[in-house]
Amino acid sequence: MEKKAFKSTPLQVEISDIDLSPGPFCMSFNFDLEPLKDSIDRFGVLNPPYLLKNSDGNFTVVAGYRRLLAVRELGLPDIVCQILPDDIPPFEALLLNLNDNLAYRHLNSVEKGMILKRLTRFLKREEIVTSFMPILGIPSNRQTLELLLDLEELEERIRISVARERLSLRVAGLMGTLGRDDRLRINDLFTSLRWSFNRQWEACQWIIEIASREGRSIKEVMDEREIIAVLNNEKINNPQKVKSIVRILKARRFPSLLEAEESFKKGLSNLSLPSGVKVIPPAFFEGIDYKLEIVFKKGGELKEKLAELCHLSGLERITEFWRGREHR
Amino acid sequence: MKRFRIRRILIEKGAENDSLAKRILKKLPNIPREDVEPYELAPREDIEGMDKESLRIIHFNGEFLKPCPGTKRYICCGYKILNVGINCPMDCSYCFLQSYVNQPSLRIFSNLKDNLNVLGDIIDSSPDRIFRIGSGEFTDSLSLDYLTGWTDFLLPFFSHRDNCILELKTKTSFTKSLIGSKYRKGIVVAWSLNSHHIIANEEHKTADLKQRILAAQECQKAGFLLGFHFDPLINYPGWEDGYQETVQLLERYIAPDSIIWISLGTFRYMPDLKWAIKRRFPGINIFNSEFVMGLDGKFRYFKPIRVEMYAKLSERLNKWYDDLGLYLCMESDDVWRQSLGWSPKNSANLCTYLDNRVRRLVADLKVPKI
Repeated sequence: MEKKAFKSTPLQVEISDIDLSPGPFCMSFNFDLEPLKDSIDRFGVLNPPYLLKNSDGNFTVVAGYRRLLAVRELGLPDIVCQILPDDIPPFEALLLNLNDNLAYRHLNSVEKGMILKRLTRFLKREEIVTSFMPILGIPSNRQTLELLLDLEELEERIRISVARERLSLRVAGLMGTLGRDDRLRINDLFTSLRWSFNRQWEACQWIIEIASREGRSIKEVMDEREIIAVLNNEKINNPQKVKSIVRILKARRFPSLLEAEESFKKGLSNLSLPSGVKVIPPAFFEGIDYKLEIVFKKGGELKEKLAELCHLSGLERITEFWRGREHR
Repeated sequence: MKRFRIRRILIEKGAENDSLAKRILKKLPNIPREDVEPYELAPREDIEGMDKESLRIIHFNGEFLKPCPGTKRYICCGYKILNVGINCPMDCSYCFLQSYVNQPSLRIFSNLKDNLNVLGDIIDSSPDRIFRIGSGEFTDSLSLDYLTGWTDFLLPFFSHRDNCILELKTKTSFTKSLIGSKYRKGIVVAWSLNSHHIIANEEHKTADLKQRILAAQECQKAGFLLGFHFDPLINYPGWEDGYQETVQLLERYIAPDSIIWISLGTFRYMPDLKWAIKRRFPGINIFNSEFVMGLDGKFRYFKPIRVEMYAKLSERLNKWYDDLGLYLCMESDDVWRQSLGWSPKNSANLCTYLDNRVRRLVADLKVPKI
């Protein structure tokens, strides 16, 4: 970024003269004001906010939005601010606030989205990707940029989930293709049980695709009796609930695959493999290479297990187990 | 089927003096023309939208003959691609180019004709080898032929050689220039086929099934060898009847003995393609079936689904004629065995199988007098 110097003037400004709605330079979302209030209460405002004078005589916040909110909540009548020259280009004012924020705090994903959105008023997307996303610590690609820009279109409840890292950004992006009620329903499911991001991604796709496969609504898929029963089951904890719901969704999304996995598992259990012996099938039964894992402590034990395996009837059919009965 | 509309022509620096560029400009005198720099970065919106109404004429510095990007993990046919251009004016929802290309517009390589000697040297230096070459991998072989005149110079070039065939793969019914030419030997005209349902819903701006088959019939009557490609086979409710109907139409209009091959391939995609497709075609449901990650990183239908589709379709095709040169595109040995009842075991044997069909059918070719 090009080096700029702005000649600002200090001024004692009454809080009531400052427009404290999130303005064109604001990049704050879902923050806890209490620590800042405590700090200001004890030490005062260490860094003055930067303001621009409006045509109506009031002030627009360029930098220091949270400090001003904290001051207002503390009931202070006025504060010393730096007033920027009227002719400062809006882009430069935006960069000033960006640098102020980058220096002092961690930005959540929604705030990064707000910054990027504001930058699109001045710059081409390619430039934002190459020059600004690295500064914000975001992977510099167009796909991530679009995901972050689209965040502002989502409901506040969803944005809060993203800001608090309860909901994956990628999943929020996918939710953008759904209706309001459906996305809120999915958001609530994921955040209430604290799903991992990978599980969220998997399950969100499955829910959408099950609805499409079965010609049903997202609500119908999610309100399915089995899922509700899991959610209401007080005997299992959250991770267990997530696991059960994933299993229910997988069975509906991949019935043939799940049936094959079950058949394989059943075939193995009928074999009565020696203890500590595991057979790992190829992923999704796509390849043809199986793996055998034997846990042993001594060579003698290994020999015994191998001998037992050699005499195990039915082992030669092991690669057919997954076929079970006819699929589909 | 109507010709495709071109709204602007972009000529890259260095292409303006190529014969093909001059031809296109002569054919489209009233279309706005812009001179552009090579390697100019296109806006992302254009890339995602594919910008299929702009024709970019490029002096191509890469290789015109390339091996088909197959995979070592599945059995591949050893096809060679004649790189005439990239992108296609039709708009199939499932098209892999949507995530494969990083530049928009219909891109035509204007120095192809001027570089045929290089191609000739490669083919002529291995006289015992059969070159199966196609121009329909990264574009449609015939959709822009009315502008480019590809067939005017490619047909004589390939017809004069004994160890190669050129496959012109298309979803159009644009066969006029082919039929009007005097060259037949070594030319295979091939149609990508699907069910009525998939053509109507997913293969936008293409010729419908009957138009394609009637165009094939016309080419067959004119003495061309035919190829057909059931690729991508898509698993949707009713697929079995849908593909049976397509075979019935083939039976009705096409004589099977001059079909050089019919390939079968189920829908497969790289992970990125799914999102590119969903962006361009929201609400699309070709991803509804059960896909799993294949050995080559592409998603494919779970194996039993693929086997069932191949087995049912091949059984029906074999009932029609038992020497159609059926083969599977990028499949494993076990899928071959389970669905077709035999397997070439590896890519080299599949090559030999297809090369032998070229040797046999091209030698048998009886060219009618025109």
